[in-house]
This record gives sequence, structure tokens and C-alpha cells, in this order.
Amino acid sequence: MNTTPKIIAFCCNWCSYAAADLAGISRLQYPGSVRIIRVMCSGMVHPEMVLHALDKGAEGVMIIGCHLGECHYINGNEMALARAEVIADTLEDMGYESERFQITWVSSAEPERLAEAFRAFCGRLAILRGELADISDSQDSRF
Amino acid sequence: MSLPRLSFEWLHACCGCEVSLLDAGDDFLTLVSQVEIVHCPLLLDNKYQRDETGTLQLPQADIGLVSGGVASEEELELVQAMRASCTTLIALGTCATHGGIPAMRNQWTTQETLQTVYAYGSDEASLFPTKISTPLDRVYAVDEHVQVDWLLPGCPPTSAAIVGMLTGLLDGNPGKALTKSVCETCPTRRGAKGQGGVGRFLDNATGDPQKPLTEMVCLLEQGILCMGPVTSGGCGGKDAPLCLRARVPCRGCYGPVRAGSNPLLDMLGALASNGIDHRSMIDRKSLLRFSGAHGMLKPLRKRR
Repeated sequence: MNTTPKIIAFCCNWCSYAAADLAGISRLQYPGSVRIIRVMCSGMVHPEMVLHALDKGAEGVMIIGCHLGECHYINGNEMALARAEVIADTLEDMGYESERFQITWVSSAEPERLAEAFRAFCGRLAILRGELADISDSQDSRF
Repeated sequence: MSLPRLSFEWLHACCGCEVSLLDAGDDFLTLVSQVEIVHCPLLLDNKYQRDETGTLQLPQADIGLVSGGVASEEELELVQAMRASCTTLIALGTCATHGGIPAMRNQWTTQETLQTVYAYGSDEASLFPTKISTPLDRVYAVDEHVQVDWLLPGCPPTSAAIVGMLTGLLDGNPGKALTKSVCETCPTRRGAKGQGGVGRFLDNATGDPQKPLTEMVCLLEQGILCMGPVTSGGCGGKDAPLCLRARVPCRGCYGPVRAGSNPLLDMLGALASNGIDHRSMIDRKSLLRFSGAHGMLKPLRKRR
């Protein structure tokens, strides 16, 4: 079994893909199981693309766009955000845990933030697999 | 010259599609005079035969019509026998093309469904039947198991649609499936975007029912949930969509516009990106009430 969960990351051309570029140039470390797909805007990622990725065997899907208010197409990421709620809600209906999807904002100058988002998401999926103990749960049980 | 042979079979369905064909009246009588019906459980008493190897045998036919989805071992055997015995196979009605109402059970496991439907218990008085055919793990559309040549969705398809398709096939010109949405065939007035929320299908539309449909405001804009944008059009033939003619919203019986697209996700996505709160919708899973096959509805995996 693969040790790291396969992740499909839809990165927008203007911010997050540029950040991924910069992360590469800066030699930042993030899990190699992340597969980045460049899209022109996070707002063009149809919910079905997310579902399709999961149906085809991805363990998690991320949509990464520009910070809210900084979209190259003015409000594309706001549409992505509106749809993200739909995706999170309906993934449960479709038989997937809502944790398998995440939407994040990263500007082109924040490669560390991107790498950190990838690592955190990987960790979340590992918890879902049961490979890592859920730290938040164990903390809760103490109180 | 022998007449073209027609064969009908029903699977996991309610018989509404066959009744819709009978409703055609004179057109049905004309059709019957042009064909020979060799197998039809609704109309003919035809015994099911098995050959020496135990394979189910159905009469050979030129055109076969199958209504209903595939939900049990028995129905799987029937649909395979139909495919083997018919030159052209038509999936008739939404259950056959997209799973239909019975496929709503795909949101639970077979075990859960059985326990819900039948009194289930360890005592001897348990009403769980022992003689029903083994249920499959979920309800399948016909084209998930055998190759289908034509799809005719609708719950039920109108008499005119069925007769039209059959006479078209007999003439060698079955026509093309419409790839437009219900909205593209809908004459209601559209202008502004919708309001904050969506009401239920049961809410009354506003507008004078005496006036033509072209003067009624789009139901989605009125705040009533209408599946038109994500549903394949063509139910009304060349006229307005059937449900809209009755001034009620489209319920999505023709299945998704594009093969394989998910009406629930499409509809909620469309609402959300237009600023409508999708959480105002009651029982959103029922948007898949007609399209639960093809793996659209799945039981939730158990969290680890």
C-alpha cells in the first residue's frame, strides 16, 4: 500500500500554481503524492471534477485559489467558495467523507503556506486511513 | 413477409411504461397491426423456458424493450436473456436508463434495505421472505449489465414518445436523442436571478393559470426547486416540458443532461454559484430520485 495518500490539487494559474512553482524553485518539501492540475481559475473547477477524481481513486482533492478579493477574474474564487460548501455537503451524500475535500487560498508569494497546506491535508487523510492517531480526539478525551 | 417481432420484458419496475404504451389508443392498434408481439408478460401468457444447459430462453425478436432496473439475480438473468434474444434492445423508461425510483435504495446497503422493508428478527415470526430472488448489491441501470442500443427515459415516457420511437425504428429512422436541458425547451419567462432560497416541489407557483406558459415566470426564479437546468429535455416532444405544462417544476425524470453527470451536484453547484443558499433545500439527496444507478447514490462508508 502506498504510504502517502494520493491527492489531486487544482491550482489556479495566477496565484497557487505560481506558488507551487516558487515552492519548487525554493526546494520546499511537500509529499510527492500530490498531483497538481493547473486550471485558469479555482472558479472553473466544477464539483463533478472533484467527485470524478475521488471516484477514480484519489484519496483527497484540494482546490487552491487566490486569496478572497484578489481573484484575477474578480470573483472566481468566491464562486469556488460557494461551491465548496456544496461539495463538502454532497460528498457525504455520495459516500465520501467530507474531509477528503479542502479549499485553500494561497497567493503567488506564499510557497510555504502551500507546502504547509499539502502537508496538513496529507496528515488529515492519514488520520482518515487510521494510520495516524487523531490528535484532536485524544486531546478531547482528556477533558 | 413476416412482421417485425417485438419482445417486452419488465424488471425492477412498476409496469407504468407498458401501460403508457397501451394508453396510445388507436396508435397502439396501428402499431400492433404492423408488428408481431412475441413476448410481453403484461399482455401475453408466455412461459419461461430453459434449454438443456439451464439457460433461460426467450423468443427471438427484432426489437426488445426492457423496462425497469436490474436489482436481483433473477432480473440479471432476464436482462441477459433479453439481450441474447433481441437484435435491437431499447431501455424503456427511467428505471431502465438511470435506475429510477427503485434505485433510491442505493443510498443504503442491501442489508439495511431488507431490514427496513421486512420485519426482521431472530424469532420464528420474522416476515423476512426466503423465496425472493437474491438482491444484487445495488440497483443497476440496464446499460450497466448489457449493451443497450437505444435509451428512452421518462417516468413514464409518453405514449407518443414510445410509439414514435418504435415506428421510427420500424421505418429505419429512430431519430436522435435530445442533448438539451429541459430549460432549453421551456417557454417560461426568464429575467432576474433567483432569490435567496429554494422551496419544495410542492409549493404553488404564482401566475395566472389561464394565461399561456410564456407569461409565467421561471419557477426557479420564483424560488421553487425545478430540476430543469440539470435534466435532459425532450419529455414534451416539440412542445413545452410535461411538468411545466401542469405548472409544476421539473422533477428530473429524464435523467442527467450529459451521460454520467450527477444531477445533485450539478443542481447544488448551479444554485450556489448563483448565490442561492443550498442548505435551504430540504432532503437534497432526493434530487437523485431518478438517477440513483450508475453509482450515483452510494451508502456512506463507515468511518474508521
